[in-house]
Amino acid sequence: MTTTTTTFSSSIEDYLETIFVLVRDRTVARSKEIAERLGVTPASVTGMLQTLRERGLVYYEPYGSVTLTDEGTKVARQVNRRHEVLRGFLIDVLSVNIAEAEVAACNMEHGISKHVIDRFIAFAEFIKTCPRGGAELIGAFARNHIPAETAPEECVTCMARCLDEFKAAHTATENKGEEPVAMTIQLSSLKPGERGEIVKLEGSGAVKRRIRDMGVTSGSVIEVIRVAPFGDPIDIKVKNYHLSLRKVEATDIIVRRVDNE
Amino acid sequence: MAGNPNAGKTTLFNSMTGSRQHVGNYPGVTVEKKEGSCNHGDWRVNVVDLPGTYSLTAYSIEEVVARDYIINERPDVVVDVVDASNLERNLYLGVQLIELGVPVIFAFNMSDVAESRGIKFDLQALSSLLGAPIVPTIGHKGKGVKELLAEAVALAEGSTVLRRPEITYGAPVEQAICAIRRELEQQAAFSEETTARWTAVKLLENDQEVMKLYRQPEVVEVVAAEQARIEKVLGDTAEMIIADRRYGFISGACQETVRATTESRHTRSDRIDEIVIHRFWGIPIFLGLMYLVFWLTFTVGNPPMEWIETFFGWLGGVISSWWPDGSESIMRSLLVDGIIAGVGGVVVFLPNILLLFLAIAMLEDSGYMARAAFMMDRLMHKIGLHGKSFIPMLTGFGCTIPGIMVTRTLENRRDRLTTMMVLPLISCGARLPIYTLLIPAFFPSAWRAPMLWIIYLIGIVLAIACAKLLRATIFKGESVPFVMELPPYRLPTLKGVLIHMWERGSLYLKKAGTIILGISIVLWALTSFPKLEVTDSSLSEEEQQSMELSHTVAGRIGHAMEPAIKPLGFDWRIGTAMIGAFAAKEVFVAQLGIVFSVGEADEESVPLREKLRSNYSPLAGLCIMLFMLITAPCVATVAITRRESNSWGWAMFQLAGLTVMAYVITLIVYQVGSLLGLGI
Repeated sequence: MTTTTTTFSSSIEDYLETIFVLVRDRTVARSKEIAERLGVTPASVTGMLQTLRERGLVYYEPYGSVTLTDEGTKVARQVNRRHEVLRGFLIDVLSVNIAEAEVAACNMEHGISKHVIDRFIAFAEFIKTCPRGGAELIGAFARNHIPAETAPEECVTCMARCLDEFKAAHTATENKGEEPVAMTIQLSSLKPGERGEIVKLEGSGAVKRRIRDMGVTSGSVIEVIRVAPFGDPIDIKVKNYHLSLRKVEATDIIVRRVDNE
Repeated sequence: MAGNPNAGKTTLFNSMTGSRQHVGNYPGVTVEKKEGSCNHGDWRVNVVDLPGTYSLTAYSIEEVVARDYIINERPDVVVDVVDASNLERNLYLGVQLIELGVPVIFAFNMSDVAESRGIKFDLQALSSLLGAPIVPTIGHKGKGVKELLAEAVALAEGSTVLRRPEITYGAPVEQAICAIRRELEQQAAFSEETTARWTAVKLLENDQEVMKLYRQPEVVEVVAAEQARIEKVLGDTAEMIIADRRYGFISGACQETVRATTESRHTRSDRIDEIVIHRFWGIPIFLGLMYLVFWLTFTVGNPPMEWIETFFGWLGGVISSWWPDGSESIMRSLLVDGIIAGVGGVVVFLPNILLLFLAIAMLEDSGYMARAAFMMDRLMHKIGLHGKSFIPMLTGFGCTIPGIMVTRTLENRRDRLTTMMVLPLISCGARLPIYTLLIPAFFPSAWRAPMLWIIYLIGIVLAIACAKLLRATIFKGESVPFVMELPPYRLPTLKGVLIHMWERGSLYLKKAGTIILGISIVLWALTSFPKLEVTDSSLSEEEQQSMELSHTVAGRIGHAMEPAIKPLGFDWRIGTAMIGAFAAKEVFVAQLGIVFSVGEADEESVPLREKLRSNYSPLAGLCIMLFMLITAPCVATVAITRRESNSWGWAMFQLAGLTVMAYVITLIVYQVGSLLGLGI
C-alpha cells in the first residue's frame, strides 16, 4: 500500500522536525543548534539546508537563522504528529519507558503512513476508553500479566468487577451531569457555528504573539462564524468581537469542543 | 493618545483638535505622526495621535513607535482610548500602559454603543481597580471631550494622584521577576521603581527591543534560567503565562464591574455581515462596490479633470497672447510649456485622488475594508501578499498614483513595498490611448479586442510573477499572519472622511507635486532645446516641428539610443517619443504625432496610424505596446513611490528594474518573432 502522505526522505523529515521544534521553542533555529540536536557536523547541516531551501521547505541564509515555509511547516507538523502519536502509544499503551519510547518513535516515524497512524490513534483511544479495556487492562499488561496462566474463575471475577465498576461510574457521571473529557482538536477543524474552548496556543514567534495579543488566550471560548467565499481565511468570534485568521494559523490554536447551549 | 485600531481614537482626536492638525512622519520610519493642539482653561494642550496598536510588544513598527514615544518623550498624560463595547481586548493595551508606569487616563469611547447593547459599567469601581480615571466619551459627537481634557490637565498638574494597581503573575513568575531584578539592579541604575520591574517582565517575555539594551551575559543567563524554570513548572512559556495573567487581571476586573443586562448574540453588524460577506453574495457585492468606487473616481472625476486641463490650456493661451510680439523668448516657452503645463500635469490628478480617497475613507471608516481583505486574502496569499493588497492593485487600473497611495493601508513594509514595485505593471488609464492608437494601426479588426485583452493580461501576469519573485528574493520572509480584526460596522463621520481626503490631497500636492513639477520642467527643456531656426519655407509647419524636435536634446538622445533600441524593432522616433512619455504616458501619442509630422495627433488620428503602418511591422507595433506597458513608470509614479517608500532607492529600483525588464522581454519577443517570421 502506498498511502504515505509525503515523498520526503527520512533525513529530510528529521531536519524539518528538528527545525520545527527549535522554531517553536526559540522563534528561530540556527544551524549550530540543528547540528547539535541531530548529532551531525555543521557542514552537513549547511548542505542539507541548501537542499531544503531549493525544495521550498525552509527560509535560510548562510550564517543566518532558519525558519520553515508554509509547506515545510506542514510536513514538519505531520512528522511531529506521527512522532507524538507513536511516542504516546509506546508509553501509554505498551508501557515502554520514556527514553526508550523517544528513540523508538524517532526510528518508526518515517516509514509509517497516515492511515496506519490514524489506526494507532483510534486504537489508543479505544483501548483507553472501552470499558472492556481501560487503565486496568493496560496496567495488567504493564505488569506482564499472562492471561493463559490465570485460573478461569479469576477471569470471570475480574470481568464481573469490570462490569460493576463501569455501571457505577456510568451512573455517577449521569447523576453529576459531567461530560466525559473531550479530545482536543485544532481550531481549523471546527465548522461554522461550532464553538471551542482554547486549551493551548502552539506555533511560534510573531504569529503566536499576535494571536495572543488579540485575546486568544487559554480558557476563552471561540466560535467559528464563517469561512471566506474562497474557502480561506475564517471569521471567528472571541471575547465578543470578530477576528479573522487563515486556516494555517488556526491550526496553531488547540481547542476543546464546547457544545452549543 | 494611544489605543487599539478601530477604537475611535482618530475620531476623538479630530473632535479634540479640529483643524489644528499636522501630519508628519516619525523619524526613520513611514509611520504617520499626527499632532494637534487645543485649549483648555489657561492651558494649551498638545496632542499626539499615536499609531493604533493592540499591544506594546515589539511586534510591529507601530508598536515600537508608540512604545518608544511613551518611554522616551515621557508625555505628561497618556490617554488610552478604549472601545467600551469591546472592553476586555482593549484593556490589554491599557494594562500594559499601567505597567509601564506612565500616568494613564482611560477614555471609554463609544459608550453609547455599549449602552445600547445593554452593557452597564460601574465606572467608579473599575477606575479604582485600574488605578486610573475613566471618562466616558462619544467620539463622533464630541461628547466627553471637555471632561477628558479636564482630567488630563488635573493629572498633569499633579492634583490627581494615581494609585497604581499591582498586576501579579503568580508565584513562579514573581520569583523569576525578583531574580532578574536583583541581577539588573547590580548591572544598571534604575530611576523609578516600576522601570526595573517592567524591564524584568519584558526580558521574561523575550522582548527583542528590551533584550538589545540588556546584553550583559549575567542578565541573559538569569533570564534564560528563569524562563526554563517557569516552562518546567507551568508547562508553557513565560511569555504566554504573563499574557494569560494580564487577561486574567482584566477579566477579573470586568467581572466585578461590567454587567450585560441583555444577552444579544447577534448585533446589527453581525446581520450586515451575513449578507455582505456571504459565501455567494459576498463577491458580487464586493465587485459592485469596487465598480462604484471606480465610477466615482474616474467617471465623476473626469469632468473636473477636463476643466482643469481646459483651464491650464486657456491660461497658457492667455499668457502667450499677452506676450509682446517679436520677443518670443525662452521665458515664454518656459512659463507656458514648462511651468504651466507642469503645474497642470500635477493638479490634473487631484480630482481623481480626492474622490478615490473619499471612497476609500468611507470604506475604511465603515469597516468594509477589513471585509474586502478578508474575502480577497485567499487569492492574494497565493502570490505572497496580504488580502489588503487587492485594493491598491485594482486602483492601479485607473491610475498608478492613487494605487500607490492606497498601499498605506498595508501594515507590513515588505508587503507594501512589493505592492508598490509591481503596481506600474497594471495597465493604467493613461496607457489606454497608446493601445487604442497602435492596435487599429497594426491589427485587423477581428484581432483588436483580443489584442487589448492580451496586453492587459500580460501586465497582470507580469505583476503576479514579479510579486512572487520579489517575495522570494529581496522581500523574503514568512508571509505576514492574517490575524486581523473585523471591526463592527460604523457610519463614517463626514468630518473624519473630509479630513482624510484633505490630508491625502495636500500630501500629494506638497510632496509629490514638487518633484513632478521639477522633472516636468527638465523634460520640457529636453524636448525644446537647442532651438533650430528653420529657414526653408518650402517645408510645412508640421515638418518644421518634426525637424525642431529631432534637433533637441530629446531628439538627439533618441538618435543616440537608436543602436540600443534597434534590436527591439524601434528607431529614433520611437525613442524620442518615449522620452516625452516619461512625463505622462499619454504624451507618447502627441510626441509621435510631432516626429511623424502629422501635427496635433490624438489616439484616433488616422494619418498617424497610416504613417505608423508604413514605418513599422505589426510585430514592432506589438513590441512598442509591450515596451510601453512594462517600461519606466511616469514621473508622477516615480515621485509618489519616492514619497511613500520614503526612499529614492526604491523609486530608482522600480524605475531601473522595470526598464530593464521591458528591454529584455521586448528584445526576446522581437527577436524570436523575427526569427519565426511572425508579423513582419
